[in-house]
Amino acid sequence: MSYIGAEVIISPLGDTAEENWNALAQNRSGISFVEGAGYTGEGMYLAKMLALNTTRRFKNLLIQALTKVSELIDSQIITSTRTIVIISSTKGALDTDIKDQFAGPAAALSRHFKLANQPITVSNACISGVLAINTAGKLVEAGIYEHAIVIGCDVISDFVVNGFQSLFAVSDKPCAPFDNARNGITLGEGCGAVVLSTSKDIFKETPFQLLAGASANDANHISGPSRTGEGLFRSVIKTLTSNKIDTAEIDFICAHGTATIYNDEMESIAFDRLSMSNIPLSSLKGYFGHTLGAAGLIETATSIQMMRNSELVKSLGYSEKGTSKPLNIITVNEKRRLSAVLKTASGFGGGNASLLIRSI
Amino acid sequence: MNFVTGYCRLNEDFCAVNGEVISRRDVDSEDSWFKQIYKEQEFVYPKFYKMDLLSQAGFLGAELIKRANLRVAGSYPDDEIAMIFANSSSSTDTDMRFLRSYEGNSSPSPSLFVYTLPNIVLGEIAILNKWYGENMFAILPNFEPGFYINYLNITKSGGSKAALCGWLEILEGKVDVFLFFVEENEETGTPLNAENLASLFNHKPSIN
Amino acid sequence: MDTLKEDLKKQIIEQLNLEDITPADISDDNLLFNEEGLNLDSIDALELIVLLEKYHGIQVTNPDEGKVAFRSINSMAEYIRKRKS
Repeated sequence: MSYIGAEVIISPLGDTAEENWNALAQNRSGISFVEGAGYTGEGMYLAKMLALNTTRRFKNLLIQALTKVSELIDSQIITSTRTIVIISSTKGALDTDIKDQFAGPAAALSRHFKLANQPITVSNACISGVLAINTAGKLVEAGIYEHAIVIGCDVISDFVVNGFQSLFAVSDKPCAPFDNARNGITLGEGCGAVVLSTSKDIFKETPFQLLAGASANDANHISGPSRTGEGLFRSVIKTLTSNKIDTAEIDFICAHGTATIYNDEMESIAFDRLSMSNIPLSSLKGYFGHTLGAAGLIETATSIQMMRNSELVKSLGYSEKGTSKPLNIITVNEKRRLSAVLKTASGFGGGNASLLIRSI
Repeated sequence: MNFVTGYCRLNEDFCAVNGEVISRRDVDSEDSWFKQIYKEQEFVYPKFYKMDLLSQAGFLGAELIKRANLRVAGSYPDDEIAMIFANSSSSTDTDMRFLRSYEGNSSPSPSLFVYTLPNIVLGEIAILNKWYGENMFAILPNFEPGFYINYLNITKSGGSKAALCGWLEILEGKVDVFLFFVEENEETGTPLNAENLASLFNHKPSIN
Repeated sequence: MDTLKEDLKKQIIEQLNLEDITPADISDDNLLFNEEGLNLDSIDALELIVLLEKYHGIQVTNPDEGKVAFRSINSMAEYIRKRKS
């Protein structure tokens, strides 16, 4: 077990966790119609940070996020030799320099804050964020570091837009996770961060417990979700058993829910096999879009905000059952004390990962 | 205690398994270097041709280690072998090819796009072997033994009994690949520590 | 010999990197997505859409349309002729 807190969210909905939370509580989405963004010059829906500078966005977001983190903890932790920074991203600064997607920005972050240890970057497609938090938690638990700061970030580029368009995976409306009429993802950009520590005293606001979980591969297809949800099923089983947590203790599932037909169907099958169909569940992609390597961080940070505010926000974009197995999708905001939350992620390469957050 | 029980080193000129060169590049061949190895070693996996270079390198390294050490595939349940891979340039080599696919008026290639993530190689090896274990792909400035040692430490505590580790650096013709298998088997192994890993990585097999 | 069909076989081998296959291995009525045929997958189907645009100037905006058109070489040739007429 390690402590988790100091959550930061930078998205089209705001620059702090509080601003983002206020938008979510009002069910406001960061998705908008962006003219000329598509491959053939057509407009498309994106969760784009329209005010963001167009150059060096990735590096600047990393620095902005770590600056915000330093305001939420004992700031000496940032430069401690017992602290590791872990970056989670799929395409890094590809839009600035395709040949220097990660090393340059990581080194710049390191210089800017005079970090004692070289940051590690986790690049594992859409599970990067959850995997990075789990890695951070376990490095702290094992005593290899005392503190770990995890920053997840990805920015929208023509590269990624064209790629998902070539897969016919982009929704022509704002994405509608788990809904019957869903037809693809809406890409998003942003940055999220959390801090893991052996000590709860470094946090200015009360932290939570991270019960780090396991990852599991589907061993099925590099870009198509498993038809049986095998990897997600195995990941969640391992996460629950290694932390001795019973399904009945989970108050909320912050699912992956990309809003592609096959992904959401796969998740419904996995949660059915896990006997979790009755647990309140949502996808946050309707608010933030799919932020790829940042998604695990932004969504875990949002889950912590839900726990702090004792409120479940509705799964935006959902109105009618659209999976073969039932799910208890949250359709209205609801005040409720949340003691334990399960966060899951699945992605290209067949990866699946999960973690648990528990209140102290 | 962990031991390296098999390893494969692959660069622009040679491919070596457990320190012995098994293949040397024929510069006059019409086939790509990885395809030369694939044919010489008589692999039969047609999907190999569809893979990008990162996945081809991972496929070759993993299969060659398995051939030299039959225990790799046989003695572990399907979810107890973790894969811990890293490199410094992510999938940049394939990223540039995808970028070129839509320059001018052509359409972006979906089969290239799906390889524009470094961890796809983990998926390919998992699919081939039906391995459901833990996966990690990290981006580091250089080959760093400490990363693998720390990460092995935490996957073992999570129930993994063995791990296929890899450094797969491929960019614009440059090839620097090192795969090694780690398990708790003293008899056939080299003790896993930073010094030994660095020396296996830096060792240049003698070219006869 | 139907040159469109022979061209299609070469184009498919080229576009999908089917290096171990020759045009002679593909018969006109082989099911392309069947294990007994070429055993293509969903990404290959999307790549065939790129092929149609690249070599034949045909745009497919709905991938479901491809599913029917890409059943075999025969059906692909038929689809191309229909779209061009």
